[in-house]
Amino acid sequence: MIDLGVPYSQIILAAEQTLYMVFISLAIGTVIALILSVVLVLTNPSGILKNNIIYSLVNTVVNIIRSIPFIILMVFILPLTKMIVGTRVGTTAALVPLVIFIAPYLTRLFENSILEVNKGIIEAAQAMGASHFEIVWYFILPEARGSLILSVTTGTIGLIGATAMAGAIGAGGVGDLALTYGYERLNFPLMLFTVIVLIIFVQIIQSVGNYFSAKVRGH
Amino acid sequence: MIKFTDISKTFIVKKQEIHALQHISLEIQDGDIFGVIGFSGAGKSTLLRMVNALESPTEGTVEINGRDINKLSFNELRKVRKDIGMIFQQFNLLESKTVYDNIAIPLVLKRMNKADIEKRVSQLLDFVELADKRNAYPAQLSGGQKQRVGIARALSTDPSILLCDEATSALDPETTDSILRLLEKINKTLNITILVVTHEINVIQHLCNQVAVMERGHIVETGSVLDVFSNPQQNITKRFVRNVLPDTIPASVAAKLKEDTRHYKIIKLRFLGDNVEENILYYINKHFSAETNMLFASVNELQKTVVGIFILQIIGDNTEFDKITAYISEHNIQWQEVTL
Repeated sequence: MIDLGVPYSQIILAAEQTLYMVFISLAIGTVIALILSVVLVLTNPSGILKNNIIYSLVNTVVNIIRSIPFIILMVFILPLTKMIVGTRVGTTAALVPLVIFIAPYLTRLFENSILEVNKGIIEAAQAMGASHFEIVWYFILPEARGSLILSVTTGTIGLIGATAMAGAIGAGGVGDLALTYGYERLNFPLMLFTVIVLIIFVQIIQSVGNYFSAKVRGH
Repeated sequence: MIKFTDISKTFIVKKQEIHALQHISLEIQDGDIFGVIGFSGAGKSTLLRMVNALESPTEGTVEINGRDINKLSFNELRKVRKDIGMIFQQFNLLESKTVYDNIAIPLVLKRMNKADIEKRVSQLLDFVELADKRNAYPAQLSGGQKQRVGIARALSTDPSILLCDEATSALDPETTDSILRLLEKINKTLNITILVVTHEINVIQHLCNQVAVMERGHIVETGSVLDVFSNPQQNITKRFVRNVLPDTIPASVAAKLKEDTRHYKIIKLRFLGDNVEENILYYINKHFSAETNMLFASVNELQKTVVGIFILQIIGDNTEFDKITAYISEHNIQWQEVTL
């Protein structure tokens, strides 16, 4: 075993923190994004529930949040974080800005995935007497599934990048390990190691995403 | 019965008004196979989509069995829509679901239980002859098979009306024929009223019993297929009908006629049904001194009725010509003089 200058337990803890932050915020963000993207598609000017007010509102909020860099967003919403999880620092505290960061991002990706669904399918659904909920549930979401999975994959990889910055509020994680021990202590082997770990994370996530997306579209 | 009363539809695109439909009134009786034909942009799809309120008229009313479809609440409308099947040019099947699941969807929406769905879908798969494709995905099917799935899906809720929006326009001629035969079987055995929108005259010829011809948002001609085909009035109708019932002198024959220096006139005769059997040409030649020359002849069958079109060159003076045409009129045969 090579000496990385930090105990292995610390590396494992950092990996766990990263996975924890990524998957919890991803799960919450995905649910929020699904709802918002469906709202956007239904209420857009050519949607089946065209509604300018709701569409503009959601669209604007998504755009505003998307235009704030994550590191600034994180410190900007500290009071909100404190309100929601009771603390401003630590891994759990990082979940709040991560969700707020990833939800609008996924919303945009999902919106595109859903817009790819053939309009004729929605027309067929209407002709069958489907309700608006049924159109979303039985027609739009199943048809968009393959594309939605790829969107989640892209979102997840974006999240890993964001978690590296969460170290700024003491959230830990692989990125933080690389910065505080690798960069600040000039520990190049550790830096290299974390970079490799992150590359492996991303590769695995992308492969899993591709696999499932191909599986649901593979006919 | 489907009844359109004084329907107009105006779209506003880029601040410009587009009159897609103008003052259309039409009645489609139960059990009809009603065809609407026109070039693209004539407004025929817009008209079709008004039957299940995918499109609503700017003016006028659409009644289905006496109920104004645009006055229904959304929930009532959904019930009516479940009684109206629809098939599409691009099939609009769910790519992510198997043939079985595609056909089952309308039944799932009706909250039918699984066992009944299974029974109904199996029955439909047999009806459209796709039992072996049950677990296939749409991407694995040919165009004709996809449309059969579309038809089975449209029939699953046992509707009383079937709407066909250019249903065969993406198919090759042979597949088109098999789909038309299937639609005919549906009309005959299930007694479903079928409304067809198409730009293909052979679909009207082989499937429909009633036809309406549309041009730029208007219905320019309507009636039974036999009446409209055997005696088309409007230029657009003539253009369509000519494709399946040619009635023009072939170019090479026309070129020779131009060199003919004798005094002659050309008439076009239209025979319908039984009067094809009366041997009119024989009698003309026997009773009149003018010389006749057959320039063109076609005999076709429409709705089990024979339609014959003959073009004759009559060589002789005008008095003889008038006698012959009077004789033809006496026998209730339509004729008209043709100029080259």
